[in-house]
Amino acid sequence: MQSLTRNYFTLFNLPEACELDQESLSAEYRRQQGEVHPDRFANAEEPEKLRAVQLSSYLNEAYETLKSPLRRAAYLLSLRDIDVEQVNQNDLSMDLLLEQIQLREKLDELPKDESALATLDALRSEVNAKLEKQEKNFAKFFDLENFNEAKKVYHELQFLYKLSAEIDAGEEIRLGY
Amino acid sequence: MALLQIQEPGGKQAKPLHRRAVGIDLGTTNSLVAASCGTGVETLPDSTGQHLLPSVVHYAKGKPPLVGGEAKALLVDDPLNTIASVKRLLGKSLSELKAKQDYLPFEFDEARADGAPAILTEAGSKDVVQISADILGALVARAEASLKGALEGAVITVPAYFNDAQRQQTKDAAQLAGLNVLRLLNEPTAAAVAYGLDSNDQGNVVVFDLGGGTFDVSLLSLKNGVFEVLATGGDTSLGGDDIDHAIAEWIAAQLQEPAGVAVPSMAKLRQLANAAKHELSDKTQATILINQFSALLEESTLKQLTADMIRRTITSCRRVLRDAGLTVAEIDNIVMVGGSTRMPLVRDAVAEFFGKAPLTDIDPDKVVAIGAGIQADMLIGNKSPDSFLLLDVNPLSLGIETMGELVEKIIPRNTTIPVAKAQEFTTFKDGQTVMSLHVVQGERELVSDCRSLARFELRDIPSMVAGAAKIRVSFQVDADGLLSVSAEELSTGKKAEIQVKPSYGLESSVIEEMLQDSQSHAKIDMEARSIKEAQLEATQLLDAIANALLVDGNLLSPEEADSLAESIKALETTMTTGSSVQIHAATEELNQVSSEFAAKRMDLHIANALRGESIDAMEKSTD
Repeated sequence: MQSLTRNYFTLFNLPEACELDQESLSAEYRRQQGEVHPDRFANAEEPEKLRAVQLSSYLNEAYETLKSPLRRAAYLLSLRDIDVEQVNQNDLSMDLLLEQIQLREKLDELPKDESALATLDALRSEVNAKLEKQEKNFAKFFDLENFNEAKKVYHELQFLYKLSAEIDAGEEIRLGY
Repeated sequence: MALLQIQEPGGKQAKPLHRRAVGIDLGTTNSLVAASCGTGVETLPDSTGQHLLPSVVHYAKGKPPLVGGEAKALLVDDPLNTIASVKRLLGKSLSELKAKQDYLPFEFDEARADGAPAILTEAGSKDVVQISADILGALVARAEASLKGALEGAVITVPAYFNDAQRQQTKDAAQLAGLNVLRLLNEPTAAAVAYGLDSNDQGNVVVFDLGGGTFDVSLLSLKNGVFEVLATGGDTSLGGDDIDHAIAEWIAAQLQEPAGVAVPSMAKLRQLANAAKHELSDKTQATILINQFSALLEESTLKQLTADMIRRTITSCRRVLRDAGLTVAEIDNIVMVGGSTRMPLVRDAVAEFFGKAPLTDIDPDKVVAIGAGIQADMLIGNKSPDSFLLLDVNPLSLGIETMGELVEKIIPRNTTIPVAKAQEFTTFKDGQTVMSLHVVQGERELVSDCRSLARFELRDIPSMVAGAAKIRVSFQVDADGLLSVSAEELSTGKKAEIQVKPSYGLESSVIEEMLQDSQSHAKIDMEARSIKEAQLEATQLLDAIANALLVDGNLLSPEEADSLAESIKALETTMTTGSSVQIHAATEELNQVSSEFAAKRMDLHIANALRGESIDAMEKSTD
């Protein structure tokens, strides 16, 4: 762990793939943090301290990227020179947009008190099922090197994760957190 | 003695047996210092056997400051020169403190140019960093006497919710006291370290810290000697003082009802309330005596009085679990910190929620200092370097102001530190050469609802069309949780940098409000954000059309020009008053109406371009 530009998968000794062993990832992350963390250089000279902050930050960023399925997907595409920030019109089908609008409307129309909690749970299950399906789809297209299709699925995953976060926020408000 | 320093030529230098490092809990009410003494890390007592040092400083002319119990005794008689609870003043500006309703018995130094709060005492003007340094100085003297030698390093604990300014001032105070700061450590993390090491545990630990004035809850995962903070939360306006207050009000109500006994001062009532609370720690009822009047406080009454406060602590626990994505069943241990966790009612509520009894073996007042002492011992090198590692998180989101007063979060809260993140921004106007950057801290979507940390400017950006410049803004948070920000224009490499060190910080109550607001206002924020975005979109379209009209306005028939002007006016009105949906609709409408105009312009420009090209082609062919 000497370079700040290494491929995140190589960094953690993991195969460059959609499926990822979370246990190995976090074990290797903890092991490497044990070596580079600024706490290991509390008595060192300034340049060494600075380098420790940089290496440790890099390791944190790499870990966060691979840990999250969505960020991992974007990272995998970026390794294939696909820029997910660039959204093309035909990346998003009309059906997908309509479905998202319907789901969102459902969320907006719910009553603002605890009576909505059961519906929120149902909505969450629905979104989770879609997420699971689309994560599999992403892996399928990615493995087939059909990156255009993979990118489309990525955008759908983005919608679904955002919706999922909004369901959580909606639940928190109704629970009075 | 000099003979001892002679070394055998070529011989190995004797390894120092033990380097002196301490952990310091710099508390609002009391402070403690802990160090490794042979068997384990313990808090160090003063010469009279007291471990807790009251965080009170008294200043007298021509004398060194008096710190601790003796200073505390002077609080009533000499309030102007006796300063307590200085921790509450850290990271705040004078104007901020004065705006608060709380009565502060000091005279502030108005002559300070930097706006930092300083208190006028007999011994001169003393700022909060100086006062904190004097408390630390007393602890250092105690430790050096006890450890028989100069200290080589210290770990100082801070509340998890301390913001950048508060952390920075704590560090400044330690440096002023001559300490080598090995690390600023979050208090709950320190508490977990105090419990976690001996047992070599694996699993998830909740740290429940109910102090005098604040409540903190953190969730840590412990695996192979690595502590990873998964989430933190809490309530900075909830603590033992609130419980005392509730009991005091209950006593006052009892006095008025039947007997009509004169109600003593609130201070006296609080004292009685506090005593009754302590009595109820091992009894089921407490008797309160005032003159000829007596009242009986039953445990069941106390339960009613504190029900709401205890419920709020449990709500925070639930929230932290959710942030970390864990369930109650996945929590292996609960660590209790802070004097208020001695209350059986609190312990019972915690045990009930988590389905297991919390850990209470270590004195809840000392556990933070002990954890800091263990960390200091490791950082200074007394322990094998791979014995354990702390991976902490930043407690509040850090972001930057973007167009339309929106906050773009760069580092979300609960991100493991140290962390570096960069984001690219661009210019909004043609020929823009200056970009001002506004760094904010908080969870809300609008800049006005977050806390401003710093402003700086990136100048001499090469003049380009809007959207062409690429400005990379980088945030770096170090392992102490301190932020620095830099900005760079990528095509020229022009740089601007700032170490965020504001002269004021967030008030803890403000942080709490901001956190709570971000939840309850999530909905409003979303709409506010949508409106801002819709307005931005509308402005861009209006600007584009206005520019096009200037150049090619003559392409339009009078009817077309009228209908376009009408739509422009409609959008301008809707923009200021409408909802996001209405603004979108009006923008869309204008888009439709102007499409004919756009098509005409396109034709004209294509025709011009083709003309140009054909001439060009002809010239080429004649060559």
